[in-house]
Amino acid sequence: MTRFVPAIILILLLSLWAFGVNPITGCEIIARGAFGGEVGLSRTLVAMTPLLLTGLGMVIAWRAGMYNIGGEGQYIIGGLMGASVAKLHFGGPGVILLSTGLGGAFYGALAGWLQVKRGVHAAISTILLNFIALQILAWAVTGPLQAPGTTASQTATLEPDQMLARWSNRTDLHSGVLLAILLSFAVWVLLSYTSFGFHLRLTGENPRAARAAMLNADRIRVQAIALSGGLCGLAGGVQFLGTSGVIDVGFNQQWGFLGIPVALLGGLNALGALASSFLFGALMAGTQSLSRSVLGGDLLIFVIQGAAVLAFLAMRRREQANA
Amino acid sequence: MLTLSGITKRYGGLLALDGVSIEFAPGEIHAVIGENGAGKSTLMNVIGGFIAPDSGTGSLGEGTPLPFGDPRRTRKLGVEMVHQHFVLVPEFSVAENLALSAIESLSGALDLDTATSKHRTLAARLGWTLDFKARTGSLPVGTQQRVELLKSLAAGGTVIVLDEPTAVLSDEEVTELFRVMGELRDEGRAVVLVAHKLREVLAVADRITVLRNGRVVGSTLADGTTEHELQTWMAGEALSPMASSRTNAGEICLEVRGLRVYGDRGEEAIRGIDLAVRYGEVIGIGGVDGNGQVELAEAIVGIRSSRSASLRRPEKIGYIPQDRQADALALTMSVKENFLIGSTAGPLLMPNAVNNGATLLIDKFNIKAQNINASVGSLSGGNQQKIVVSRAMERQPSLLVAVNPTRGLDFQSTKFVHTAIAEAAQGGMAVLLISTDRDEIRHLATSVHRIEGGRI
Repeated sequence: MTRFVPAIILILLLSLWAFGVNPITGCEIIARGAFGGEVGLSRTLVAMTPLLLTGLGMVIAWRAGMYNIGGEGQYIIGGLMGASVAKLHFGGPGVILLSTGLGGAFYGALAGWLQVKRGVHAAISTILLNFIALQILAWAVTGPLQAPGTTASQTATLEPDQMLARWSNRTDLHSGVLLAILLSFAVWVLLSYTSFGFHLRLTGENPRAARAAMLNADRIRVQAIALSGGLCGLAGGVQFLGTSGVIDVGFNQQWGFLGIPVALLGGLNALGALASSFLFGALMAGTQSLSRSVLGGDLLIFVIQGAAVLAFLAMRRREQANA
Repeated sequence: MLTLSGITKRYGGLLALDGVSIEFAPGEIHAVIGENGAGKSTLMNVIGGFIAPDSGTGSLGEGTPLPFGDPRRTRKLGVEMVHQHFVLVPEFSVAENLALSAIESLSGALDLDTATSKHRTLAARLGWTLDFKARTGSLPVGTQQRVELLKSLAAGGTVIVLDEPTAVLSDEEVTELFRVMGELRDEGRAVVLVAHKLREVLAVADRITVLRNGRVVGSTLADGTTEHELQTWMAGEALSPMASSRTNAGEICLEVRGLRVYGDRGEEAIRGIDLAVRYGEVIGIGGVDGNGQVELAEAIVGIRSSRSASLRRPEKIGYIPQDRQADALALTMSVKENFLIGSTAGPLLMPNAVNNGATLLIDKFNIKAQNINASVGSLSGGNQQKIVVSRAMERQPSLLVAVNPTRGLDFQSTKFVHTAIAEAAQGGMAVLLISTDRDEIRHLATSVHRIEGGRI
């Protein structure tokens, strides 16, 4: 990971140059946007949070050999589940957040079930489930979950007591940030220091050895992708309860997809994902500032992310070839 | 003439090859033998161009330098490798696999008949009947090896390297392979054989070179040497015949009647077997590969569904699968993690306990690894198998099911596995030993069955 930071900085400089921005001034703007005072830093952390949660979801699923490409769909279903529970005024943010996790987990488990029982590869089914989730989202925000008395395609805005706690009203920093960071340590412990995590990784590395060791590889796979979906659903919940307070047709914002490069760049490791999500969170916050002075500046993040992942995969490939 | 001199290769702190110099002459079968970890496989990979040595030189014929680290160019120079672990695409047909190996000479539309015409002629000349349309993965290992061999022979190599070719073969198949090797030699090729069964080596080789700890400790003509002399070179000691493992058998541990098991392709692999194993008894099941051995073992262990009139088995069963790399180990994971496979430890893995357990086991069973965090894929085959065996034994199961537990192992490791099994049986463990190695069964089993066509 540390070895890729210089590479990413180089990519950043090249991309700025390609966008017609003086790389030095561009970097300055980005750095100020990402780390300038508590406002900048909180913006970085808030952008990091959904990336980290979906990234952790990918780490768990991919390590089990379940190639979950459906973070986007699980994120949406999680968010919608949260909006439904919020509408019932059933409980506070804790209950709503839990329901978002369960919603995503259910949607992930669906893909898992399709793979182990019906032989549909998760990489395929999750992509298709993304499309279904997008349709459900469009239907929900113009139908059952639409804010009453309006024509806008969005849910009712959450009550203040349904939102996640904030430390200060000068920044957007919400308690979901802390939750995501704690969860990254939890996932790390789960994968490295529990039997379940070990069995999950063994299933991913060599399912036949798992079978010979009398493990139920199918069940482990479903559990892994359910957990993965749960984290992606939670990402939707944190974004809903922490930042937007409302769900509209553009709710997904690619957070589910961005989890994949975060996880890959973090070496499919929970703490690696923490580091890489911070890096990308900073780039996102920074390029937001850049977009105020440069046309298309906020697109820079996608260029950098794509280039960084390709570079990372190419380097890893070479390392493996040399090993 | 293939000449290597002063080849040295180091992996971290492990010196795999230490100044090895060796010559392989045309028209000669030259066996390279040694214990697991002696450097045989590394040396072969250097010859094949898969591993570049740290120092040393190699030349072929009239002084053409060997292109170390470039397998493609090495192959072009006429050095052909038949790998210990087959490099075949299981999903491809035999013809497709053969065409694949000659891919560089192919262009345009793929006509499998033309692309494999040379292979067909060769197969006919060797008297092999091969179904070129069969899916390669569905063929018995002996047949898959013929496919590998055909690939190499058709390329017309002047040097043929066979890395542990007999490890997976039955006695009949070994005899057949040796006949083919003799023909290759008579055609004037240099045949390099990596092996560990001394009896086989003495039967087929013209010249024998012994490696120990990465060094050449001796080289001799096969005529005029003895098994005993070679053993002394290999290990510095000779194998004493093992004490008989016969003991008083105890209660019945495993009993099954009318066992029927289906294979992966829906065929009935086991067609009604009655079997009983008592505590302290080693029941041997011999027979040629592909007669339902794996299915039988998996059904008894409980990982393959089966039907039977009655089945009684203990709760704690140890299992040594036939294919350690495919079924027993996760090669990319560390040594210590591989020890955990199949363990019934609690929900948490305590790093200290895991590390101490692994350190204890590699000391106790003398497993050669850089350390407990090294990936299992970096270990030699014998050390990998030691992990599988020690792991199963350490948990003291009531019943041990072992399928070809010494396949591909050298003399020392084989001895280790045999001693472990014999001692376990003497200690009261019930053992079901399924093996294609007649000597092994004769050596260990208290009573012997033969499996054929899914029946005993």
